[in-house]
Amino acid sequence: MSVRFVLPAAERGYSFLPSVGPNASYVAGHPDGAITRHSSFNFGEYQSGIPGFGAMRVFGDEVFMPNGTGYNMHPHHNFIIMAFVLSGTLTHINTIGRIDELGRDDYYVFSAGSGGKHSELNIGEGDLGVIYVWVLPGRLLAPPSYRRARFDRSAGANRITCLVGDEPGALPIAQTFRVSRLVSDAERRYAYRPARPNGLYAFVVEGEVEIADALLTRRDSMAVEGEDQVTIDVRTGGTDVLLVETKL
Amino acid sequence: MKKYLCLGCGFSYDEARGLPEHGIAPGTRWADIPDDWVCPDCGTPKSRFEMVEIPYFEGEAAT
Repeated sequence: MSVRFVLPAAERGYSFLPSVGPNASYVAGHPDGAITRHSSFNFGEYQSGIPGFGAMRVFGDEVFMPNGTGYNMHPHHNFIIMAFVLSGTLTHINTIGRIDELGRDDYYVFSAGSGGKHSELNIGEGDLGVIYVWVLPGRLLAPPSYRRARFDRSAGANRITCLVGDEPGALPIAQTFRVSRLVSDAERRYAYRPARPNGLYAFVVEGEVEIADALLTRRDSMAVEGEDQVTIDVRTGGTDVLLVETKL
Repeated sequence: MKKYLCLGCGFSYDEARGLPEHGIAPGTRWADIPDDWVCPDCGTPKSRFEMVEIPYFEGEAAT
């Protein structure tokens, strides 16, 4: 099996974005609020790591403190931006005309295309945990779009569920790209079959898995490529893994 | 003629189109844009743009 990289949780880029100070124009919220961001790939100030994987440029594991912490309205083009809510409530506002609230297991796909703005807020009373994924589009300056869906935890138990991509029930995306989720309540072996020559990035939200002789625990990740089938050995109950398939 | 994409926000620069509204004439090569130029939308430095070979959406005619 061809391993592109293994990225332990502690080796990711780290940003602390306070609601006041240099980022005040960008981050709103309670003065003591802040966002923490662990980046698997280059982002902003963090430039020494892995630049991306396939069409993916950002995989950000973020925590928003409560009471109004977030990103003010700001512009995007082209990138397909996805958010997968792990805990808490995300308030999402965009210029396509959507004001949305997303809870645990909800996710959205916001394709900025020819131009769109969005704001991401935690107006709740507890922390918000959310994974952001940014993907290069298949076409530049396409009409912007926004779609949302929810991962069904009971229907999705002990199997690999496609959340984004070209499978029935998944949110479509204008790119050779899929995001799937594996939630397993017991030790078990799973097989993921990418369409060659795609690559697969696996990020452990919770639990423990073994892929290609690499043991991954909470928030560890790795990428493999050139495989007809990727074997994922879940090593403990309560394991939750995001699987990102991308053209290379 | 090449295209470059801002990794901070996704803003795209096309050498063929330039950015006349920001004082960059059509046909201006990326290399001829000053190193201290930043993304007009988000302020990301020029060094944080990536050259991309992505076609335009149909109907968004390239020049």
